[in-house]
Amino acid sequence: MLFKTTPEHEAFRAQIRAFAETEVKPYTFLWDKENHFPREVVEKMAANGWMGLPYPKEYGGAGLDVMSYAIAVEELSRVDGGTGVILSAHVSLGSWPIFAFGTEEQKQKYLVPLAKGEKIGAFGLTEPNAGSDAGGTETTAVLNGDHYVLNGEKIFITNGGEADTYVVFAVTTPGIGTRGISAFIVEKGWKGFEFGDHYDKMGIRSSATAQLLFNDVIVPKENLLGKEGEGFKIAMATLDGGRIGIASQALGIAQGAYESAVEYAKERVQFGKPIAFQQALSFKIADMATKLRCARMLVYSAAELKEAHEPYASEAAMAKMYASDIALEVTNDALQIYGGNGYLKGMDVERAYRDAKITTIYEGTNEIQRVVISAGILGKPPKAAKAAAAAAPAGNVTGARKKQIWKGGDAKEMVDALVADLKKDGYDFTVGIPADTPITKAERVVSAGKGIGDKANMKLIEDLAKAAGAAIGSSRPVAETLRYVPIERYVGMSGQKFMGNLYIACGISGAVQHLKGIKDAATIVAINKNANAPIFKNCDYGIVGDVKVILPLLAQALGMEDKKPAPPMVKMKRATPKKEKKSVKVCLGCGFEYDPAKGDPENGIAPGTPFDKLPEDWVCPECAEPKDSFIEG
Amino acid sequence: MHCVRKVTDDLYWVGANDHRLHLFENIHPIPQGVSYNSYLLLDKQTVLFDTIDWSSCRQLLENVEYLLGDRPLDVLVINHLEPDHGASMEEILIRWPKVKVIASAKCYMLMRQFGFHLDGHECVEVKEGDTATFGKHTVTFIAAPMVHWPEVLMTFDTTNGVLFAADAFGSFIALDGKLFNDEVNFDRDWIDEARRYYTNIVGKYGPQVQAVLKKAAGIVDQIKFICPLHGPVWRNDFGYLLDKYQHWATYTPEDKTVMIAYASMYGNTESAAQALAARLVEKGVKGVVVYDVSNTHVSTLISEAFRCSHIVLASVTYNLGIYPVMANFLHDMKALNLQNRTFAIMENGSWACKSGDLMQKFLDEELKGMTVLNERVSMASHLGEGKADELEALADALVDSLAGK
Repeated sequence: MLFKTTPEHEAFRAQIRAFAETEVKPYTFLWDKENHFPREVVEKMAANGWMGLPYPKEYGGAGLDVMSYAIAVEELSRVDGGTGVILSAHVSLGSWPIFAFGTEEQKQKYLVPLAKGEKIGAFGLTEPNAGSDAGGTETTAVLNGDHYVLNGEKIFITNGGEADTYVVFAVTTPGIGTRGISAFIVEKGWKGFEFGDHYDKMGIRSSATAQLLFNDVIVPKENLLGKEGEGFKIAMATLDGGRIGIASQALGIAQGAYESAVEYAKERVQFGKPIAFQQALSFKIADMATKLRCARMLVYSAAELKEAHEPYASEAAMAKMYASDIALEVTNDALQIYGGNGYLKGMDVERAYRDAKITTIYEGTNEIQRVVISAGILGKPPKAAKAAAAAAPAGNVTGARKKQIWKGGDAKEMVDALVADLKKDGYDFTVGIPADTPITKAERVVSAGKGIGDKANMKLIEDLAKAAGAAIGSSRPVAETLRYVPIERYVGMSGQKFMGNLYIACGISGAVQHLKGIKDAATIVAINKNANAPIFKNCDYGIVGDVKVILPLLAQALGMEDKKPAPPMVKMKRATPKKEKKSVKVCLGCGFEYDPAKGDPENGIAPGTPFDKLPEDWVCPECAEPKDSFIEG
Repeated sequence: MHCVRKVTDDLYWVGANDHRLHLFENIHPIPQGVSYNSYLLLDKQTVLFDTIDWSSCRQLLENVEYLLGDRPLDVLVINHLEPDHGASMEEILIRWPKVKVIASAKCYMLMRQFGFHLDGHECVEVKEGDTATFGKHTVTFIAAPMVHWPEVLMTFDTTNGVLFAADAFGSFIALDGKLFNDEVNFDRDWIDEARRYYTNIVGKYGPQVQAVLKKAAGIVDQIKFICPLHGPVWRNDFGYLLDKYQHWATYTPEDKTVMIAYASMYGNTESAAQALAARLVEKGVKGVVVYDVSNTHVSTLISEAFRCSHIVLASVTYNLGIYPVMANFLHDMKALNLQNRTFAIMENGSWACKSGDLMQKFLDEELKGMTVLNERVSMASHLGEGKADELEALADALVDSLAGK
């Protein structure tokens, strides 16, 4: 066989390249700088019929092959990695699961507009505690008659906020790990489905990446994708294909940086000749070209295997892993060839260098790719000790909290109840500190998160801070991105640490880095309209409600009069968690304790095995007494 | 000279007192000595219940030979083989070649391991519920595994209500002529040493002790005498003793009070511990005790930790770790299975203060059911006046916690 693309493929490549050079390349610097999602480009691609490249024409697709799709992602990424991944996430992640696992009705309703490019697709698997390990999924979908009720959050979702159709994974049967996960098609705009932070990323900044928040979202039963419990299988199959897209993206980013560097090296003259002909650089260029050709072969081969319905999971993983690994090397070399010029903003190699990094991380880190590949070769490890199915729930970042949450009641009554509890805890709201007290010195802080909305709403924060006798703080994006407050006023692990008593978080969802900055607070109050925001699991008091409604009521209840100067801070008591004893069995032959969490791995008993599930012939590992010689410890 | 005491009709104490032994089990100081108890039943058959430590074997022989007179020793019952009781059995076997031995299967295994020669002796293996009749007296055997060795039996004489309780209900302190609990002021003079004995020797085996107490509950109205292998024989006030055991075996504190254990190199942590103690007493806490872990034997610290509901650990940082003596105390609490206490932490460190976090981690992860109060006093080298609020907050937290708030 001839390892070469067909003339049709190359003609298609030329089309995409021409489009990318004219419609994308001139704007990339601006998009990168402003985090701009190029919806106008997406619409033009849709008009060209490119948003459903590998799908049959009867479903609105272009009826082309997987190779053409890979070429399209590669060529877009060659000028802009962000634009490349918009297409990749839309086709591979947002559309393919519906194409492969959807019912005819689901395909007609969702796949057709996706393939036509009328709608944009996205895929929601990753969560704070479920990255590479989907078994940690915490989003739940509870069946209730003719619909499921979806609750939880997804993070780092490509096309998040911009997409119309989301394939979302949630636990339908808790406690059985990945077998309890199911897939759902969720539409933007459904009640309770909202978007959290739009991430301020290092690279691929023209791609939108956001947090998905589900708060009692009603999902009709007919939007279950596949069967209950098939979610993990669907996710893994989708990711296999998605890896071809990411491999193409990495290849394209590297190709673009390579071409740019070669051109530059031929123009730049030092020591009397173009630097390309300095052996150090000509060898470097040779290495870059070789790596690109290897990567391209792997990517195209995986695409061909998929098109031919041959097994391709390992090959797609190899392609993704290798192409992204060398993308880092090639973009690094390209920037090196550019020297100091390449280090400047506005240079394409500088952007490629940043864009390339994500490709070794997402769609499964390259470490996970190696797990996939080696598992294909070696199979399962012998006698794998399975971790406990019901793993211990992760502790709260802020430690034990009271978690008194008011939800769904009359706003005034909820606020009054909160104020009564705060006063009972000993807070005196006739005294206060200046609003500009440094965070680390402040006894009280009222903090604004992105949920505060428009800058005009900061007045609500200022009023509440005055009424509560508190200083003003914020979450990181409010200071860094929105710039509503000076940068030294943001609270978090990387910002200022709050060590005082009362912390009132307004419209703050509670990212881990933020929570780590307030874990010493005596009392944490959360006000947020999303009941599933992590802040509620980390607070003492919480009101589920709109900050625009709650804040003025709270300020009024605390009193807007001028406050007397506060006496020196006295650190207040925090509720101490009562430790519960875990149950163990003890041996009457020697006193050995059997702890189910630890199991007896030396004798083939996996951690998480309850005592009554031990084999009948199991004996005490220390003194060989039989199982019935154990008593409650 | 023989030294025996009559327990009740037909039954005599034939043990010995030991004031020369410095460390019990070569680890626990016994400044007031200890008794090794052995009991001789003179029925149709003559029966010796357990022997004593090798160091006092001659006394045992003198006592037994005096009471037997011309009679031979017919039966030797070994309830517990630990050498402070079993070591003299070989001499008994040699002196009375026809003596019959009664013990549990595990006990015979241990006898062979220790090298006691049973050849030529009739060996009767008994288990829970088996009985033996010696004439007028019939005994039944109660298995008491891991109280505090695996072979342990208790023997109950159904004829006169004597319970031979092995190491259960025992105590440090030599008897010195006294024998019965009502011949001493137990609650004044003995309870601390009895607690130190139980918690350090048997403390780990609370669940097993509870299992035996449950069995004993079935015959409690028939028990007239409790004959342990150390300390006084109990012939009344069983409720007092059982109540103590109930607390210890379930890891329930006896007293709602605060024990402060501090580890101090140059007196700075000590000063903070003392300041806390004074505040606590001022706030009305009764019975506050303070110990310097460096010069208090860990067996005393353990005993007090079993007694008190609240424990303050105040420790300097040493080589980026917990001060070794304090760490040893923590490890002993783990080894002895202490549970369900409320702790407060004071930490000191002059350049990298680590002891508080490390102690908290140990309490959280290595021990069971330990609550650690959030309020912690952290000091850099010395607790300055500026830290008065922190100290006050810790004292208040302890007072609240004692009050069940």
